[in-house]
Amino acid sequence: MVSGIYHTTYEQDMALRRTPAQKIRLVLVIVLALIFPFLASRYYLNLANQVGIAVIGAIGLNILVGYTGQISLGQGGFLAVGAYTAGILTARYGVPWWLSTPIACLMTALVGMVFGIPSLRLKGLYLAIATLAAQVIILWVVTHWKAVTGGVEALVVPAPTLFGRRVNTDFNFYWVIWGCAALVTLLTVNLFRSRFGRAFIAIRDQDIAASVMGVDLFKYKLLAFAISSFFVGLAGALTAHYRTIVTWERFTMDVSVTYLAMIIIGGLGSVTGSYFGAAFMTLLPALLTNLGRALKGTFPIVEGLIPFFQLAAFGLVIILFLIFEPEGLNKIWRDIKNYFRLWPFSY
Amino acid sequence: MSRRQLIIPFVLFAVLILSACAGPAPQAPAATEAARPQEPVKVGAIFDLTGATADVGTPYSEGVKGFVEWLNSKGGVEGHPIDLVSADYAYKVDQAEALYSQFVGEGVVAFMGWGTGDTEALRPRIAEDKIPFMSASYSAALTKMDEAPYNFLIGTTYSDQAIIALRWAADDWAAKGNSGKPKVAVIHHDSPFGQSPLEDAKAFADANGIGFTSLPMPRGATDYVAELAQIQQFGANYVIVHTVSSPAAVLLKNAADQGYKNSMQFILLNWCADEILINLAGAAAEGVFGALPFTPPTSPVPGHKDPDEWLKSKGSSLEAKGLHYSQGWWTMAVMTEGIRRTIQQGKPVTGENIRSGLESIQNFDTGGVTAPISFSPTSHKGNNALRMFKVENGKWVQVSDYISATP
Repeated sequence: MVSGIYHTTYEQDMALRRTPAQKIRLVLVIVLALIFPFLASRYYLNLANQVGIAVIGAIGLNILVGYTGQISLGQGGFLAVGAYTAGILTARYGVPWWLSTPIACLMTALVGMVFGIPSLRLKGLYLAIATLAAQVIILWVVTHWKAVTGGVEALVVPAPTLFGRRVNTDFNFYWVIWGCAALVTLLTVNLFRSRFGRAFIAIRDQDIAASVMGVDLFKYKLLAFAISSFFVGLAGALTAHYRTIVTWERFTMDVSVTYLAMIIIGGLGSVTGSYFGAAFMTLLPALLTNLGRALKGTFPIVEGLIPFFQLAAFGLVIILFLIFEPEGLNKIWRDIKNYFRLWPFSY
Repeated sequence: MSRRQLIIPFVLFAVLILSACAGPAPQAPAATEAARPQEPVKVGAIFDLTGATADVGTPYSEGVKGFVEWLNSKGGVEGHPIDLVSADYAYKVDQAEALYSQFVGEGVVAFMGWGTGDTEALRPRIAEDKIPFMSASYSAALTKMDEAPYNFLIGTTYSDQAIIALRWAADDWAAKGNSGKPKVAVIHHDSPFGQSPLEDAKAFADANGIGFTSLPMPRGATDYVAELAQIQQFGANYVIVHTVSSPAAVLLKNAADQGYKNSMQFILLNWCADEILINLAGAAAEGVFGALPFTPPTSPVPGHKDPDEWLKSKGSSLEAKGLHYSQGWWTMAVMTEGIRRTIQQGKPVTGENIRSGLESIQNFDTGGVTAPISFSPTSHKGNNALRMFKVENGKWVQVSDYISATP
């Protein structure tokens, strides 16, 4: 019977996975992720890939909003920078997809840093408006800078290949997306064990105190924008190579809001929460659609109501989370774990 | 944490797990199987019922569904009923992709889309899966056979609509006894949809000596007085409006308030020329012209009879549903014609065969709702002609015969 987790060495305290239960769970999740594509149909693979891209984007946004406390409404714009950079490099200049993807990440990081400059002076709502400007400006450039983005017409990207094989089938790209997601997760989890991560958290908790302690606010805020945008750019670039077509309508304002909702529902300042939020926001519409179709035969009226119910459900879920569980799905997950660990002597 | 509080996470997880389990909808019950003499043909469809374009997306979706129900009540296509699997995608590209792969996984052989976003995003996938695709996006980019080999267009393309409007303006200018050529301004939605016809329209205007300018309607603007002043300065005699109904209504009201309505003749292209515009703009809509690829119910043609009778049997009418209903109805009818030809030729009903079935369609008569539809292996552009309409006493009234973009 454990009454708590006690560490007797620094190594234990610093470890990412501290208990045997955590290690077993991690192995289980990895095994499940490895066998899933062999069992799933194309529909579920497509959903899994959508979740994977959303996870990468949500972790990126969470670094900025959840860990550093710099609110951003520019997510859709940064995704667009990643997707268009990767798409243009591959379509126009023949850069192979595995090279254009990291270049797109760097480009997005650069753009993110530029739009992060106001964050030194602006906080909270004011910063939200400044990043909203990023969203609007980037989309305007994308739709009007014809010579580079193609403007009106969608940008068609050649299908990615590796050793003569097509990579962007639902099955093959599953490995690319979830490989990237694993890498992003590992980097992010370790980032917050380093001085950079601790500086980010210090800025979030009290920026003046952080600066008194010797944290260079400007440098670290820009760094947070850069790292966050780097991952968001990765999500955008993967979208471009997976779908082989880039259109501006994928990166509108409501994408930015959806991503914010993801990390709020999942849990601000938590990598696991980004997973939960991304999965929840991607699977909820699919669930409601299928529910409507399943009930169609029994209650014909339901099918017509489901689309409206879906909108209401999204709003309701976000309000309920803010009221009852501001720390998101991740907190619920922790409570469940604690419940079982302490069972039957919960308090 | 109390036990009661713990119910919430468990319910949530049950929901999440259910979402993973909720597979394809169950097959139709066995009871109806006996009434079905032939294998049903599965067609997928996504509609916008709750998103940005729900106002016009809803009657369009009802038209598509209405045609399928009507056809099935008449015994289907060559004895095969059509099984339309459809869902709302709220004008979101991601959801469109998820629904598309779900429906293709369930074995649909043709697909009905809706907007520019989903049509563009699905273009490579439908070519790969060989699924014929029709939507209500009439961008000329979709007629490029090498990039969009499985897209078919029923409506006149936006480029052709703009060219027809220019051609009509030049004729109208001369008919009114004016010398020289008119000056035309195009005011458009600030999006790829809005920009789509500009290049072709400008080329046509330049080739014919028509004065030409274009300007976007800023997104989120509450009035367009500044844009109208710019048009006035340019000295436009005709203003082509290419946007959706509500901004177009605001534009017309502004024009009426500013007293521009006598100096400028407004010509609306298809997504702002409908009943919604008349409802919103009221008196300000009087006397404006519309380049309409789909005949509105206020100008009855034989093609309105079936949808109207079908709706009347359900306690509604085509007049109440508006022109987007017959647009959906006849788009689905053309897709069905492709399926019919495939079955008649005795070929298996696959996407590839439906494509060649559609490509054999020549001068398909939609009962006057559109100009006759023709496809060929080298062109998936259904038609290039339409009739001009005018708002008189709150109704769209036909004022010209078919005008072609390429005589």
